Amino acid sequence: MAEPMNNETNIDVLEMPDGDESSTVERCLTFESGDLILYISTKHVIEIINNYPITSLPLMPPYIKGIINLRGQILPVVDIRLRMGKEAAEYTDNTCVIVLDIDSVSLGIVVDSVRQVIDIDLQNVKPIPLKRQQKLLDGMVTMEDGSVFMSVDCQALASPQL
Amino acid sequence: MDNGMESMLDTYLFETNSLLDRLDEMLVADEKLGDLSVDDVNEIFRIMHTIKGSSAMMEFGSLASISHHIEDLFFYIRENGIDTMDPAHKKELFNLMFRSEDYLRGQVEKVENGEPVDTDMDSFAAEINGYLKKISGAGEGPAAAPPAPAKEDTGKPAEPAAPSALPSSLPDDEKAVSFLHVFLEEGVGMENLRAFMIVNALKECGLELRYYPENMEMNSETCSTIIEDGFYIAFEDMGSANKASDVLQTQNHIHSYELVDVAALKAQAQAEAQAAEEASAAPKQAQETAPASSPEKPAQKPAAAPPKQAPNAPVKQNLISVNLMKLNSLMDIVGEIVITESMVTSSPELNQLHRDAYDNFMKSARQLRKLTDDLQDIAMSLRMVPISGVFQKMTRIVRDMKQKLGKDVRLTLVGEDTEVDKTIVDSIQDPIMHMVRNAVDHGIEENVQDRLDAGKDPQGEVILSASHTSSEVIISITDDGAGMDPDKLLAKARDKGILTKPESEYTKKEALGLVMLPGFSTNQAVTEFSGRGVGMDVVKKNVEAVGGVVALTSELGQGTTFTMKIPLTLAIMDGMKVTVGDSIFTIPIANIRQSFKVTADEIIRDENGNEMVERMDSFYPVIRLHQFYNIETQITDPADGILMWVEASDRSFCLFVDELIGEQQVVVKPLPAFLNCFELKNYGITGCTILGDGNISIILDILSLHAAALENV
Repeated sequence: MAEPMNNETNIDVLEMPDGDESSTVERCLTFESGDLILYISTKHVIEIINNYPITSLPLMPPYIKGIINLRGQILPVVDIRLRMGKEAAEYTDNTCVIVLDIDSVSLGIVVDSVRQVIDIDLQNVKPIPLKRQQKLLDGMVTMEDGSVFMSVDCQALASPQL
Repeated sequence: MDNGMESMLDTYLFETNSLLDRLDEMLVADEKLGDLSVDDVNEIFRIMHTIKGSSAMMEFGSLASISHHIEDLFFYIRENGIDTMDPAHKKELFNLMFRSEDYLRGQVEKVENGEPVDTDMDSFAAEINGYLKKISGAGEGPAAAPPAPAKEDTGKPAEPAAPSALPSSLPDDEKAVSFLHVFLEEGVGMENLRAFMIVNALKECGLELRYYPENMEMNSETCSTIIEDGFYIAFEDMGSANKASDVLQTQNHIHSYELVDVAALKAQAQAEAQAAEEASAAPKQAQETAPASSPEKPAQKPAAAPPKQAPNAPVKQNLISVNLMKLNSLMDIVGEIVITESMVTSSPELNQLHRDAYDNFMKSARQLRKLTDDLQDIAMSLRMVPISGVFQKMTRIVRDMKQKLGKDVRLTLVGEDTEVDKTIVDSIQDPIMHMVRNAVDHGIEENVQDRLDAGKDPQGEVILSASHTSSEVIISITDDGAGMDPDKLLAKARDKGILTKPESEYTKKEALGLVMLPGFSTNQAVTEFSGRGVGMDVVKKNVEAVGGVVALTSELGQGTTFTMKIPLTLAIMDGMKVTVGDSIFTIPIANIRQSFKVTADEIIRDENGNEMVERMDSFYPVIRLHQFYNIETQITDPADGILMWVEASDRSFCLFVDELIGEQQVVVKPLPAFLNCFELKNYGITGCTILGDGNISIILDILSLHAAALENV
């Protein structure tokens, strides 16, 4: 195990069952957006939808794609690519909207594709050692196969920027 | 746990508020009759009991304590029968109850705002107790039997056998015609000094009197005598004795007092001698009260009694309270069902069905359609509540103002059962209140003589009425007062510097409209009720916020009418769908005057290139929606698109859109809270709606669109 990133006392992860409050292992949904592999805790994820018509709203910053009608509920949709300041990409069949509920703020995020749900030990998550203007990502973790996953900062996501 | 407490608090507040509303309703209705019915006394007792119980459970001390005291009071009234009270006491009871209600409401409000409730409510509690004492003192006379048990139930054990010891202990005072026999509250301490202070208070009122024990202010030993037997105040004539008993009502720490008429006592003694064998109960009655006051009471009884049963018998309502959130989600689901249903019935796969099978399917589908239509109607009606709740509050306001301003005004309510969407009811309460206050304060003449001179009924009348049309509710407030003088309004507006054009160019309607401008208040002096200059413009703003308009007509000498027109519900409206590029917008039908096509050369431009079009001899600005909202569209030539002539309030202009799709009734949904920081409301977008095919259409607000596009240039 890598060194713990926070000051918490070291807990033996193996003994902690999934979903326990004190566990440092969290189930996370991983997805791709703009060449990055991102993850977000499944406790925020409501569902994944695709091929939904998005109604654009006038006078909005480009990263807010508009609103969708999810069974009568109106949800704002944020394009993660644009939110991170990357180039827009054409939406394909793989493009999905992940519907999130972050402290009872509901919104959808557009991602290039969804990968899978994995368990991530939060103790292995390290801060991103760069100063950035858009702080949408708040951590990174190296997986066993050497790939690096980035954590999405839910609070930043839920508070829109003008 | 915390959540549980929250919802308990919610329930508590809801329950207490509805009880207080019920109380208010009863009091206002009963005060008009000047009497409380037995049923109402029971109901008030029950209400107070409930409030006491739940407040104590929630640990709101002041609420529990005050309601407890009122409960005591009504326990007494219930036991003794309301009929035994004389009219003056009843009048006082109403005032006391209105004040108590206000106090309780104030406390509830504090709870609602998360503030701590009062801890010091003793003075108010003492006032209620004082009143209780007063009526129990006065009430004992005609009905000798009941008071004894009642006293015990007031929570303050009565003085042991107070009245029985009378004749022997009467002080020896030859000249005295009558005595006041006063008992102090138990355990107040320093009884002799308190008694002396009461005596002094009477002397200050200019009353001739002597008091016994004579040296009580000097001699602290008299304490025990006063505690046990009370003290006596002697008068040489009946008049000052009666006056004194009035003064005593205002004094603190008095448990009870009675007027003892020496002459009556002597007569009684003779009567006793004559009918010695019957001497058990009757003499006591006579001793306890002054004959001077008792004859009127039986006389009033029959007068007051008859009206009590007829009106306002409490009707048990078959109502349950439902969280508004649940209704909203019900509406959402119903909307979904309707949309899904049309998706199913218009599905292309149906064409592959065999003819008979298809007919059968369509038959069932029609039945389903009928049911979903019914379901939709019911779901929408759930949000509708009668406006009577708001109107009822106005009766109370008029009553209070009547007393404070000394104007004789009656409020007539028309169409209280008109139903309005819940959200609208909440938002029009303040405007209505303001206008009713204005009508009573400014509208009705100051002097009754002015009304008589004008040949009007001396009692002013304010009519508050509500009625429906198919799409809006009309609320009007009419007074038969002095009316508004356009010239005075103009002069006043000139003084305030809020005129925008020469005085002579104002029409009468425009002059009246000045009242609605900010900073305009016709009353020179600011009163408690109106005249802060933030009156009518706030009313106008509030009403416009719910999509309504305020109009005003006034005839000098005849009175003034304010009319509010408000859409029946905010949740559902008739809209016209138009497209701009790929976007679909919905314009409220109520705002649309006309749609028409123009050619490019009919558009006139000013020096800045702003476009205008002539319609019915006037020029109106044109807003190209695709330009204003930066939407890509093929249609930029006026000849290809269509102009929608819209107006809201007094703003009128034209919108240039690509195409008109059609009319539809839509359910208005707010935009997600996530987007609030972009303030789309200020740019003409109030919400959105889901169309039959599941697409979203954006609903335009004509008024704010005008403000954003044309006023902030």
